[in-house]
Amino acid sequence: MSEVPIERHALDNGLRIILSRDPRSPAVAVNLWYDVGSKHEKSGKTGFAHLFEHMMFQGSANVEKGQHFGLVQAAGGTLNATTWLDRTTYFETLPSHELELALWLESDRMASLLPAMTQEKLDNQRDVVKNERRYSVDNQPYGDWDERMQALVYPETHPYHHPTIGSMEDLSAASLDDVREFFSTYYAPNNAVLTIAGDFEADAALTMIQRHFGPIPANPSLPAPPEVAIPARIGEAVRVTVPDQVPLPRIYLAHRAPPFGTDGFDALDVAADILGSGRASRLYAVLVRERRLAQDISAFLFPIVGGASLFAMWVTARPGIELPTLEAALLAELDRLAADGATDADLERVRNLQASRTAASLERIAERADRLGQYACLFDEPERINSEVGRYAAVDAGRVAQAMRASITDDNRVTLTYVPAEAAS
Amino acid sequence: MIARPPAGAPRPYRFPDLVRQELPNGLGVWLVPLADRELVSVHLLTDAGAAAEEETQAGVAGLTAQLLVTGTRTLDAAAFAEATERLGIEVGSESSWDSTRAAFVALGDHLDAGLDLLAEMVTAPRLDADQFDRLKAERLNDILQARAEPGRLADERFLGEVFADGVPYGRLSAGRPETIEALTVESVRDFHASRYAPGVADLVVAGGFEPDEALAAIERHLGAWTGSGPGHRTIEPRQRGERRVVVVDRPGSVQSELRVGHLGIDRHDERYFAAMVMAALLGGVFGSRLNKRLREELGYTYGARCAFDPRRAVGPFTATAAVQTEVTADAVRELLGQLEGIRDAPPAEDELREVRDFLVGVFPLRFESTAGIAAAIEPLAVYGLPDDWWHAYRSRLEAVTTGNVQAVARELIRPDDALILVVGDASKVAEELRAADLGPVEVVPGS
Repeated sequence: MSEVPIERHALDNGLRIILSRDPRSPAVAVNLWYDVGSKHEKSGKTGFAHLFEHMMFQGSANVEKGQHFGLVQAAGGTLNATTWLDRTTYFETLPSHELELALWLESDRMASLLPAMTQEKLDNQRDVVKNERRYSVDNQPYGDWDERMQALVYPETHPYHHPTIGSMEDLSAASLDDVREFFSTYYAPNNAVLTIAGDFEADAALTMIQRHFGPIPANPSLPAPPEVAIPARIGEAVRVTVPDQVPLPRIYLAHRAPPFGTDGFDALDVAADILGSGRASRLYAVLVRERRLAQDISAFLFPIVGGASLFAMWVTARPGIELPTLEAALLAELDRLAADGATDADLERVRNLQASRTAASLERIAERADRLGQYACLFDEPERINSEVGRYAAVDAGRVAQAMRASITDDNRVTLTYVPAEAAS
Repeated sequence: MIARPPAGAPRPYRFPDLVRQELPNGLGVWLVPLADRELVSVHLLTDAGAAAEEETQAGVAGLTAQLLVTGTRTLDAAAFAEATERLGIEVGSESSWDSTRAAFVALGDHLDAGLDLLAEMVTAPRLDADQFDRLKAERLNDILQARAEPGRLADERFLGEVFADGVPYGRLSAGRPETIEALTVESVRDFHASRYAPGVADLVVAGGFEPDEALAAIERHLGAWTGSGPGHRTIEPRQRGERRVVVVDRPGSVQSELRVGHLGIDRHDERYFAAMVMAALLGGVFGSRLNKRLREELGYTYGARCAFDPRRAVGPFTATAAVQTEVTADAVRELLGQLEGIRDAPPAEDELREVRDFLVGVFPLRFESTAGIAAAIEPLAVYGLPDDWWHAYRSRLEAVTTGNVQAVARELIRPDDALILVVGDASKVAEELRAADLGPVEVVPGS
C-alpha cells in the first residue's frame, strides 16, 4: 500500500504540527487532538471533558454562538468533535481554499474561549448533553453496558472507572468556574497536536499556522498525567446480572488487556478479528451459523493507553437458548484459540481484511488526519500510520496464543448478563 | 471583533467521467476508472427491491438479498465466507424499496477474483433451506430487537400510521413478522428466479482499474447470465387521515421519540432541488432551524432534523427528534412552529446562501472514496436519471432562490395534515399532549 507522507513541525509555544499532502481532491482536513479526556476528570466532575467539548462550539472572542458550525458549513465544510477516555478531538474538512478559516476558528477558541462563556450557554449545553446521555444510554436497551463494564474492569480509583458521558448528578454540578479552570489547565498549544491532510501547500499552511497559533501562550505548568498503573489482570472472576427492557438476553465479557500501542495489544487485536470479524470468524461460524445459539456476536478492543486496555465481546442469545449453554460455547472458542493458536487460514484472512479496511479508511483525508493526530498525541510517533498494516501482519500464531493465554483467563474476566426484566422478576 | 480570514482561490472539482456500456444480455455497465486509486468498488444492482414483492410476501426481497451471501453452487456458506474474506473482501447484500445491491470494495489486484465470486453469488446462489431457516429466524429476532429500541420502533410505527391501509410503504422494506413467518425457501427461490436478471440489472465499478480489462472480466463472469425480468409494480401512496397525535406507549422512557410528517415527493419530482435545499435549511444541517431552536436554544434534545425520502413513488417527509419526556408537548409545538415558519415567509438571502453553499461546497467530499462514487451512480441506474446528473448538480442547487424555497415549502410542508407520532411513557405525556390541542390523541401499546 502507498505510504502516507508525513512532515513534522512545531511552534515555539509547543504546538506539534503534522502535515500530510494528498492532491487527489481539492479539500483539506484539519484535526486537533488535545491530550485531555475523561481520564483527567476529578472525582465529582465526571462527564466534564465532554461537556467542555460542547462549550467549545458556543463561540469565542471573535466568533458568535453558532458561528463555528455556521462558518464552516457555509464554506462547504463538515465538522464535529469527539471526547473519549484519553483525548478530545476537534475536526473540520473543507474545500482547500478555506483552510485558513478552519485554522482561525480553531486558534480563536484555543486562545480566547473564556470571554464568550456565559451561564446561559452552559445551562443550554448541559441540557443538550443530558439529552445525549438519555438518547445513547438511559433510553436504550443494553444502553449502559460499557459504563458498567468500565466500572467493573477498573478499580474505583482508576481514571477509566467512570464513563466519558458522566453521571447526571455530576453534569448538574458543573459550573462556569469549572469551565475556566479546565480551559486554563488543558487547552494550550503545548497540550495539542494540529494535523492537516489533503490538498494544500506546506509553506503557506505553516505561515497561516504561525499567524494564528503562534501568539497563543503555552501553559508552563501542565499537570502531570493521571496515575494509570494497574495490574495486568482483574484478579478475580466478576459476574453481574442486569434485568432490563430487552427482548433477548445478551452476555458481555470484558478482560483487562495490554495498552494500545504495545505488541501485546496488536496480538489481541488479531485475536479479536479471528474471533469476531466477518462471516468466516470463529464466533460467527460456530455460535451463529453452525450451532445457532446466538443472534449476533462481537469482539473488539478499546484503543486506550492508560495502564490497561479493555477486550470486550458480546453474544446475543437466540430465543429459547439457555444462557449457560451459550456462555460455555463462547468460552470453548476462547479456550480453543488460546490452546491451539491461530491457523494459517485465520491469519491470511484477517491480515487481508485489515489491509483492505485500512486502505478504505485512509481514502478519506479526515480519517488520515485523525490517525496521524492520534499517533502523534498518544505516542509522539505519527509514522505509526504507515506501520499499522505491518505491525498487524507481523503477529503470528504463537503471539496470538500467548496473548490469549495471558489475558483471557477466568481471574481476568467480567461477565455481565442482560436478561429480560419480566423474566427476572 | 476580528473578521474571518478571506478565502483563497477555489480549486476546481469535476465529478469523474463515466463510461457506460450495455452487454448483449442487457446488463448495464457503468465504469468510473480513477487512475490514482488503489481500491475498487463494485456494486451490482437489480430491480429486486421490496417494490417488486407481492404484499403477501413482504420481506422476501430482503431475505433473498441476505441469503445470497450464504453460498453458491460450488461453495457452501462457510466456504463462500472463507473465499471472499481470504481476499480481504467483505461482500454486502441488501435490499431497499427500489433495488437490491450486492457490493464489495477490494484492493485492485482482487477485482477479477471478487467479480467472479460476486457474479456466482448473484446469478447462481445456493439458496438452501437450512441457511434460509437460519436467516429467517434471525430476521424475526432482529425485528424483536428493533422494537425494543425507541428510535427504530418510532420509525416503523410512523410508516404504519402515515400511509393508508394497503399502501406497501406503510411498513419497513424488510417486511412484517406476519408475512416473513409465512415465507419458505421456495418463495425465495421463485423470487430470485423471476426477479434477478441482467435485463433489469446494472453493474457499477469505480476506482483503480483498467477499463478494457474490467470490461473483459465483466463479460467473462456475467456475460452468460440471461433473463429480462418482469420489473416492479406501481405503488400509489395515499396518506391516512387528518392531523392527529398517536402516542405509542413505552413505559419508563426518559425521552420521547418524535416523528412528525406526512407524504413528500418521489425521485422524479421537478421540485427535487428546491425541496432538498428547503429541507436542509429546515432540518438538514447543524445550524438548521429545527436544530437551532430545539437544541441550541431550548436544550430539549441532542438533535432535531428532517428529510424527504424520495423513492420511485412518493415517500415520506419526516421531522425527527428525541426529546426529554418532561418537555414533550412543548417540543411538538415548537417543531410544528418551525414547519409553519418555513411556509410563512421566504428565508433571508444569507440563510439560504449558507445552506446552498454548504450543499455545493461539500460536493467533492462525498466522492473521496471509491464506494462513495459507486453509490453516486446508483440513482442514475435505478431511477434512470440523466448521465450528466452530477455534472449539472451544483448549478441546479445554486439556481434555487428564496422564492423557490418558500413556494416549495408551501406545497410540500403541511403541518395541518401532519401525523404526530410520539414513542414515550404515555402516563407522563398523553395528558399534556391532549391539553396542547394538537389534534385528536390516541394512545396505543408499544408492544
